[in-house]
Amino acid sequence: MSVIKIIVIAIAGALGSALANRGIAVYHDGLRPIIPELIEGRMKRVELATIAFGLSFGLVIGFGIPFSLTSSIILVHSLWLGTDIIGTWFPGSFEKGWMKDKKSMWGFIGSIVTGGAYGALLVVGLQAIVDLFEKLPINFFGSLGSLGDPIIYAFAIFPAVAVAMQFGIKKGLITFALTVLARQIASAAGLSSADGIALAVGVLVLMGFAIADKPKGEKKSEQSMQALFTERANRIKKNLPYIAVMGAVYGVACNLALMMEGPQSITALAAGDRAAATSITVARAISFIPLKAMTSLTSGVFAMDGFGFVATAGLLSPNWIVAAIAGAAVMSLEAYSLVFIGKLLDNFPGVRNAADNIRTSMTKLLEVATLVGSMIAANTMAPGLGFLVVAGAYVLNEITGTRIVRMAIGPIAAIFTGILINVLAVVGLYTPAA
Amino acid sequence: MVKVNIGGMNTQEIKDLVDKFAEGKIEAKITSDISGVQEVAKGEADYYFGACATGGGGAISMAIAILGYSKCFTASMPGKPPRKEEIEKAVRDGKKAFGFTCDHVQLTVPMIVEAILEASSVK
Repeated sequence: MSVIKIIVIAIAGALGSALANRGIAVYHDGLRPIIPELIEGRMKRVELATIAFGLSFGLVIGFGIPFSLTSSIILVHSLWLGTDIIGTWFPGSFEKGWMKDKKSMWGFIGSIVTGGAYGALLVVGLQAIVDLFEKLPINFFGSLGSLGDPIIYAFAIFPAVAVAMQFGIKKGLITFALTVLARQIASAAGLSSADGIALAVGVLVLMGFAIADKPKGEKKSEQSMQALFTERANRIKKNLPYIAVMGAVYGVACNLALMMEGPQSITALAAGDRAAATSITVARAISFIPLKAMTSLTSGVFAMDGFGFVATAGLLSPNWIVAAIAGAAVMSLEAYSLVFIGKLLDNFPGVRNAADNIRTSMTKLLEVATLVGSMIAANTMAPGLGFLVVAGAYVLNEITGTRIVRMAIGPIAAIFTGILINVLAVVGLYTPAA
Repeated sequence: MVKVNIGGMNTQEIKDLVDKFAEGKIEAKITSDISGVQEVAKGEADYYFGACATGGGGAISMAIAILGYSKCFTASMPGKPPRKEEIEKAVRDGKKAFGFTCDHVQLTVPMIVEAILEASSVK
């Protein structure tokens, strides 16, 4: 199993670097609009790679790695933010195809090799850390598992929060009540995916409000923008074969639970709740459509993971072969629908605003849920001490300028608690419960 | 009156902060990222603020696409809180779009507001 994991992640890494090198797709949403500066010759590779490093490195360390570590599944951020850097660093010109001149060919091959090695090292390195944890006198790795529990359940309420943000507290409370009602009815009826159903109901209510909403004073994109969109979308369509291969690889990786798209779905999947993970991927993908579609349309560079529905397809597929086919199909469809989605978003500005509010509310819920989950996990390892360390670390991080991402401080503090009790046990200041 | 458009995530929180710290000298408006940035491009608004998880992603991606990278400034990133000197320099250099992380909204917005007010009073 471990060998398969290394191979699949290495392929995903090699492909990710290659796509970034050729300006076909990048993972970071902020890097995407800068790529045309390179393609159209206004920026040098070195400058772009430096920007990519600045944008991504902190996220790999502070966001990708902690979640990959606690779930033993690779969070896509830790892989594809890294390959963004690798791919943009290697040379390559855009005048001809990569096989047409020597420098571009070497850049392309170099990206593939380095990206593949990065993927393999990521898996091996994370596994080594996990193995190391398990060799410690007090094994705290099992307790870390409970870290994700609050996230799985609390996540279903995000549409209600988003509704409250956009349409006021009254409508927010109505959505809140409907979500709770849906969850309890599904639960009483003995359905296993009560949380998924609650989430779906919330999302539907939110979408209803958003489609009905026509904010005044919002202007439609101008004609010149539409022409630019079509031209850029054609560039993406031209690269469809590469994008489809990426879809296939990503589909397989999700199907085998080797890789996952976000902190919520990865936690659900690590806990073995595939149904919850699936509905979370749908909700996340919907919330990211406007951002990913608009950045793709303005840049001609696609998102490395598409809109995110490939993860859903991968999770739903019965085996990896179906997942490969479904992944390729879904990602191609996403790329093909870009112009259509651009027009749709123009006609329903409420939907585009909703997407921003969805991302805000998801983040806020995740911050609370990971903090509570981390406190519970740390306290399972070391009753009393765990609450103290995590709460202290969180507040300390806040008052010193939030140097560690708010979502990641809890898990990091929980891991620290585990290491701390091992050290304390060695010096005789901590006695593990029998 | 300086006009600021706000888009992206945590927009209400950002607007409240601008209103609080600008003491009536800045007119803040919540817009979509595209129309907000287009108004800046046409000179109908002076600045664009946006927050996202990374400060350089969703926050200013449309600004980079429409205004160009040289007009955009990432004021804070995960693990890198905003620095007052850097923001003041960015305003002096004529940056129009400011991105920061949701984590750092409370820290960053007052700094940018102050820098903008300082620059516009010197003029």
